[in-house]
Amino acid sequence: MAEKKASVWTSISFWRRSAAWVTGFATILLIWLTFDTISQIRMGTDEELAKGIKRRIPAPTVINYKIGYKYDEKRGLEVPVIGPEKNPLFGKELSPKEAKNLLHLGKLTEQAKNCMDCHTLLGNGAYYAPDLTKAWLDPMWAKGGPMQAMTGKNSKEEAMVEFLMHPDKYPTHARMMPNLGITEKEAKGLVAFLKHMSSIDTNGFPRGFSKTIKDYETGGTYAK
Amino acid sequence: MLFETCTDVACNNIFAWLNQGPLTLTIVLHTIIILPMFWIYFSEKKKLNGDK
Repeated sequence: MAEKKASVWTSISFWRRSAAWVTGFATILLIWLTFDTISQIRMGTDEELAKGIKRRIPAPTVINYKIGYKYDEKRGLEVPVIGPEKNPLFGKELSPKEAKNLLHLGKLTEQAKNCMDCHTLLGNGAYYAPDLTKAWLDPMWAKGGPMQAMTGKNSKEEAMVEFLMHPDKYPTHARMMPNLGITEKEAKGLVAFLKHMSSIDTNGFPRGFSKTIKDYETGGTYAK
Repeated sequence: MLFETCTDVACNNIFAWLNQGPLTLTIVLHTIIILPMFWIYFSEKKKLNGDK
């Protein structure tokens, strides 16, 4: 009887060493990626904003600037454009501390009122109500859009505050937003929170977001 | 072009450079994981044959 040749594929030692290598490498890679991500998602500073240094998540004082949305040919997606013109929220420029506090109030309100029960924020939440990630840039709220006309307000932020305080008064959709008892102060915080969120570079998410009333009417940026 | 200027927000990191095209990061990581397994295979084969 011919001697049977030992196969590496049935060797326990081979599989043990391979598993140890793959698991070990993946563990080190994940730890590395975790620390890499921490540095990537760190909030920027007011100085960086003033100097025009781009960060994925800008400082809270970004709410003092005009925020736009532009299609980036090289990246193949839409990116937020911050400034350089200023456009302070509610017409009052805030210091870094004031802006941070207002954003914090907005974040707490967002959590307390559980917006994610219906809306999506930065990819988290539900798809029952509109995605709020870039809500600040939604042409619905811009000058000439239906929301300012409906609420009778002359600016985006005032229209948003009015809507957030009395959503049940404005039937915008078959799925109407309920009145959550949001106070004026909380609503202002929420608007600041939304404006800041729209300035975050989300690699073009949500994709195909329209930036002007005209684009919106003609089917969005990618319809061209 | 195989190599293009990095267009990400942050380019001072290896993952930004490796993630510039479809599947580029995935291919690099899988290659790094698979290559040493050839070495493990042949070293085990040598060990098994040597045992006889």
